[in-house]
Amino acid sequence: MTDTTADLIHGNASAVPAGVALGALNNGFALASAKDFRNDIEVLNYALALEYLEAEFYRQGNAADLVKGKEKQYLMQIGADEASHVATLTATIQKLGGTPIGAPAVDFGGAFESRKSYLTTAHVFENKGVGAYLGAAGFVKDKMILQAAAGIFGVEARHAAVVGNLLGLKAEGGVYQGAYEKGIAKGDVLQAVAPFLVDPDKVVAAITY
Amino acid sequence: MGIKAIFGGCPVLEFAAEQDRRSFLRNAALIGVGLTYVASRAGDPVAFGTADRGYGASDANASDLDILNYALTLEYLEAAFYTAGLKANLLKGRELELVDPIQQHEADHVKVVRTTITDLGGKPVAQPKVKFPDGTFSNRANFLKLAGTFEELGVKAYHGQVTLVKNPELLGAAASIAGVESRHAAIIAQITGGNPFPAPIEANLAMGPVLKAAMPFLAK
Repeated sequence: MTDTTADLIHGNASAVPAGVALGALNNGFALASAKDFRNDIEVLNYALALEYLEAEFYRQGNAADLVKGKEKQYLMQIGADEASHVATLTATIQKLGGTPIGAPAVDFGGAFESRKSYLTTAHVFENKGVGAYLGAAGFVKDKMILQAAAGIFGVEARHAAVVGNLLGLKAEGGVYQGAYEKGIAKGDVLQAVAPFLVDPDKVVAAITY
Repeated sequence: MGIKAIFGGCPVLEFAAEQDRRSFLRNAALIGVGLTYVASRAGDPVAFGTADRGYGASDANASDLDILNYALTLEYLEAAFYTAGLKANLLKGRELELVDPIQQHEADHVKVVRTTITDLGGKPVAQPKVKFPDGTFSNRANFLKLAGTFEELGVKAYHGQVTLVKNPELLGAAASIAGVESRHAAIIAQITGGNPFPAPIEANLAMGPVLKAAMPFLAK
C-alpha cells in the first residue's frame, strides 16, 4: 500500500490501491443519502461501527508483528482504547434501550504488509474517527452522552497525533491538522471506511433506522 | 448535582464548603469569570449575581460567555507560556518542529475565542500577566514538563464544560479546539517519555479545580 493517506482522507475511494480497495468500490454504496441521525442511538451505533472497525484493525495489526518496542506499546494501548470504546458504546446503547450493532465483517487488504502500511492506515482511521465524532456531535441530544462522546473524540485525536508522529509525518498537516479539528459528515466517513468493510451496505442498513 | 438541575436553574457549580466557594470567587474574580456559576443561596447578597460582569449579554448567553472567558484565560496562559519557551531556544530538530505549531495553535485559539466572545455580545477578558516558576525556561526538560501539565489541564478544562455549554454551535467550536489540545497533550507526553494515552476517555475537571491549578501562573 503506497501513499493512500491523502486519497482516503479526501474520500476518494477510487484512488485506493487494489490491495486495500477490495471489491467494495463499485457496489453502488449510496452514501449521499445517509446524512443524518434521528436519535442518539443512531449516533452511538454509527460510532460503534467505527470503533469495531478500529478495534479489529489494531487486533490484526498488532498480531502481525510489524512493530516493536515503544511503538508496539503505543499501538497495543491504542488497540485497548478502541476495544474499551466498543464496550462503552455497546453498554450505553443497551442502557438507552437500543440494540447495538454486531461487529461488522472487515477486510483490511494489504494494510498489514509492512510497518508503514499498518501505521499509514491507522493514521487514516484515527483522523477519520476524530472527524466522525466531531461531525456527529451536533446530533447528540443527551448531554451525558455528549460528554462521553467528546471524551472518546479527544482520545482519538491523541491516537491520530501519536501515530502521525511515529510515521515521522510533518508536524502541521501530519501530526496536527491545524489549530481546529474538522468534522466530517457521516456519508464521507462511511465512504472512506467502505473499502475495509466486506459488506458496507449491510453496515449502513444496521446503523440506520 | 445533576445535569437537569444545571439546565433548570442558574447555578452550575455547587461547593462542598463555604471556604471552597469563597476560594472559587476569589479566583474567578481575578480573571473576571464565574459570576453566573455562583449559587445564589438563600441569604446570599444579590450582588454576587449582579456584580460588574463587564458585558451586557442576555441571560441565555451569560454562562456561555463566562465559559468562553474561562477558556480564553487558559489559552492566554498557554500562548504566553509557549511564546516564552520557544524564545528561550531550548528545543531543536524534530522536537522544535513538533512544539512550534503548538504555540501558533494557542495563539489562534486566543484570537478565535476573543472573536467569539465579541460576536456573542460579550467582552473578552484582558490578557492576564503570567508568571512561571524559576527555571521553567532554563532547560528543555522543565519547559516540556510544564507544557505537559498545561496541555493535560487544558484538555480536562474543555471536557469539564461539555455539558454546561448551551449554544450548540459553540459546543462544536469548543470541541474542535479541545481535540487539538488532546493532540498537543499526547505529543508532549510522547516526546518526554510520558503516557500519551492516560485513559480511553478524556478526563474532565470543573472550573474550580482548574482555576486553582492555573492560579499559581497568573500574576496578581
